Amino acid sequence: MGPLIPNGILTNEWNIIIAVLIGLAFGFILEASGFSSSRKLAGVFYGYDFAVLKVFFTAAVVSVIGLYYMDYLGWVDISMLYVHPTYLWAAIIGGAIMGVGFVAGGFCPGTSLCAVAIGKLDAWVYVFGIMVGVFIFSEAYGVFEGLYNGSFLGNITLVDSFDIPANYIIFGVTLIALVAFFVSDIVRKRIKKVFY
Amino acid sequence: MINRNLAKILANRYIILASLLLIAALGLLLLPAYQKNERVTAEDLLAKVVNPERYVTSDDLAHKIITKDPSILLIDLRDEKEYAEYSLTGALNIPFDAILNADYEAYLNQGQYDIVLFSNDDFKADQAWLILTRMDYENLHVLQGGIKGWYNTILNPPEPTENMAKEAFELYDFRKAAAMYFGVGIKQHNQVEQQDMTPKKVVIPIVKKKKRKPEGGC
Amino acid sequence: MDKSSENNRHVYWNPYFGGFLLGLLIIFTFYMTGRGLGASGAMKSSVVTLVDKVSHEHTINNAYYSKFVKDDESPMNTWLVFESLGVLAGAFISGSLSGRMGFRVQHSPKITSRRRLVFALFGGILFGLGAQIARGCTSGAALSGMAVLSTGGFITMLAIFGTAYLFAYFFRKNWI
Repeated sequence: MGPLIPNGILTNEWNIIIAVLIGLAFGFILEASGFSSSRKLAGVFYGYDFAVLKVFFTAAVVSVIGLYYMDYLGWVDISMLYVHPTYLWAAIIGGAIMGVGFVAGGFCPGTSLCAVAIGKLDAWVYVFGIMVGVFIFSEAYGVFEGLYNGSFLGNITLVDSFDIPANYIIFGVTLIALVAFFVSDIVRKRIKKVFY
Repeated sequence: MINRNLAKILANRYIILASLLLIAALGLLLLPAYQKNERVTAEDLLAKVVNPERYVTSDDLAHKIITKDPSILLIDLRDEKEYAEYSLTGALNIPFDAILNADYEAYLNQGQYDIVLFSNDDFKADQAWLILTRMDYENLHVLQGGIKGWYNTILNPPEPTENMAKEAFELYDFRKAAAMYFGVGIKQHNQVEQQDMTPKKVVIPIVKKKKRKPEGGC
Repeated sequence: MDKSSENNRHVYWNPYFGGFLLGLLIIFTFYMTGRGLGASGAMKSSVVTLVDKVSHEHTINNAYYSKFVKDDESPMNTWLVFESLGVLAGAFISGSLSGRMGFRVQHSPKITSRRRLVFALFGGILFGLGAQIARGCTSGAALSGMAVLSTGGFITMLAIFGTAYLFAYFFRKNWI
């Protein structure tokens, strides 16, 4: 019965080994999908390459459907899984800052690590930038503390927020993702190809 | 080279994949709802019910209280008024109606203490035991005879007659000593001493759940 | 197609295939550990470790660092650090298999490498800052959050991509 480690089925020592293995697969998939190329990543914002949107949404939809099937079959207990906590304004403002950083730098942390591994110098600089950003945040924690800890809504899910059963939300998300894939292909055909 | 029909199918591969995903999502929607059976099964419950360890005799309990055994947690299931009048040393009052109250879950659902449930007699404590066991709580025990049994054995033990075995006398001595300890002499049963015996609330450290909550964060 | 792929380093997996595998990986991660993927946490741990090495007193007095400093173990001893080491190795394997290795700065032909690096630094600083405020980046908050339908995950995802689209116009010269 999953999740295995929190339920004590696997000992905690396995956590580290599994972390490395999961990281290996994560890095391999990201790199092989082209996420080590900042110009490919940025393509999603200019309409010449929608790999980010496709990979991202496919992964989200596949994982959420898979997890709920596994919950149904009793293989994993959804309520045991870690739900990212919702700090409303921290999420919005932090997300907005990350959005600017994303389009300016062309990476997100996970993809920049992949690019670092294959020797992209811009990614090295980007990772250094992230560390500087973390450093600034920590040093100026007093300034951000109110925002960081404010408007806490708990570890809620969309099920709690909208009061709709999870299955309907999943179906809706799947529909949105499929429509987004369809639209992105139309957009890409209209936009001048960029070679990178 | 490639089969023409296969090529035709492959041309529509994205539509096929999209429909597969949609069917999977729809399947989740249409699956018959069912209640997951997370509680204890009837067989397990029976095995626990017949286990004699679920009862604690008042002598054992008195011994544990006197030796200040830190592993026991006494739960008084009677209502607040009765609890205020008299209860066992260090007992915690959780009225029977409120045992499923979320406030008390930290006390009842943990693996560190041996919980001893008691009420005026066995009956309510047994019911509470059954309910909590069904919730899969651990280390639950019932005080045999309840408060009445406690009074009849520890506080006011029947004197053994002369033709009884030696053990009975030893038991009587122990009970008498225990009664002294609990401040209620058998003969000098007066109000003042009872007042001194108002039970203290035990302070329990926040108990850790056995299952670790997964942590996360980026 | 077949011939060009042999010497084209920019032929990647079909994005749907990559997404499908990534989805399976997220399921596996949740099944094993009960938590999602992440990336920026490793960088946070590195920063905490560095600052701790320079001045231990400072980390203890700072309200944010002190959350991650423990007396008995290094702040590097976290799940995400090990996972990120795996990410580096995994990307290295994939990159070497497809011949994408090499030290270089990737940028649009219209801009200089220098400009690209400046913007990378600037973007990185912003992303690092934002990831701390929102408690996670695209993988930790948005992707793993969406997998369990976390409201915060969806909000973060919308905020990241929404703002990125809003600001895309100003940075267009860097990319197109």
